[in-house]
Amino acid sequence: MRSGITIAARVEELKAARAFIEKACAAAGALDRDAFDLKLAVDEACTNIIQHGYGGRGDGVIELACEIDTNTLRVTLVDRGRAFSPRDLPETDTTSGWAERPIGGLGWHFIRSSVDAIDYRADPVNGNRLTLVKRLAVPQTKEKEIG
Amino acid sequence: MDVRVERREAIAVIGVTGSVDGATAPGLAAAFREEIGAGFIRIVGDFAGVDYTSSAGLRALLETVKETRQRGGDLRLAAVQPDVRRVLELAGFTGILKLFGAVDEAVASFS
Repeated sequence: MRSGITIAARVEELKAARAFIEKACAAAGALDRDAFDLKLAVDEACTNIIQHGYGGRGDGVIELACEIDTNTLRVTLVDRGRAFSPRDLPETDTTSGWAERPIGGLGWHFIRSSVDAIDYRADPVNGNRLTLVKRLAVPQTKEKEIG
Repeated sequence: MDVRVERREAIAVIGVTGSVDGATAPGLAAAFREEIGAGFIRIVGDFAGVDYTSSAGLRALLETVKETRQRGGDLRLAAVQPDVRRVLELAGFTGILKLFGAVDEAVASFS
């Protein structure tokens, strides 16, 4: 099953992006926790594209697509903003005290922590493509039915 | 997201409802800043009605923790819901922020 939505690259649209993911997760029968993780990852990815890729200009778009395969949800985000390299991002500080803790830099940490696989392809012609893959936990009741 | 402010003597209780993301977090940060600007450096964030936060919300929280503690005060959170708590844990914020089950508990912790 596949579904898609195009949103304007503006923070006001983050809600629509999350609603789209929530709907896809419901269709996939995802548990609330998996749905929350995927919403967070997509929200953070969109926020990065809006603020860094498009530099907050607000005139770009983000194409979101969701594919449901056996117990796997694959979300792709395509944008035509400035490309970046997720590999170059520094490790996030999650342990230092309040005075030393840097403000910001949590977005990619949340993406990495919330999905099972990440793929990023910079493409100035067809658009930069970020793919997030989440393996869905099987609900307990379903396991019982099978067993 | 909605924000309502209630001042209880020297403590500002800021009740937040809805989702905190890149669009709404600046409003939350502004509400915190306004209280600090008015001299309320002891702040309780009532998060009972917050069902979602992204890193944008955590930025507002960390900024406020720094601002208040540097002035001898604090930001303490009450009634944080499980999903939001998990985001705080992912960021390692549960080691920084003081969390309480209820608003009254958080308010009392200042005395």
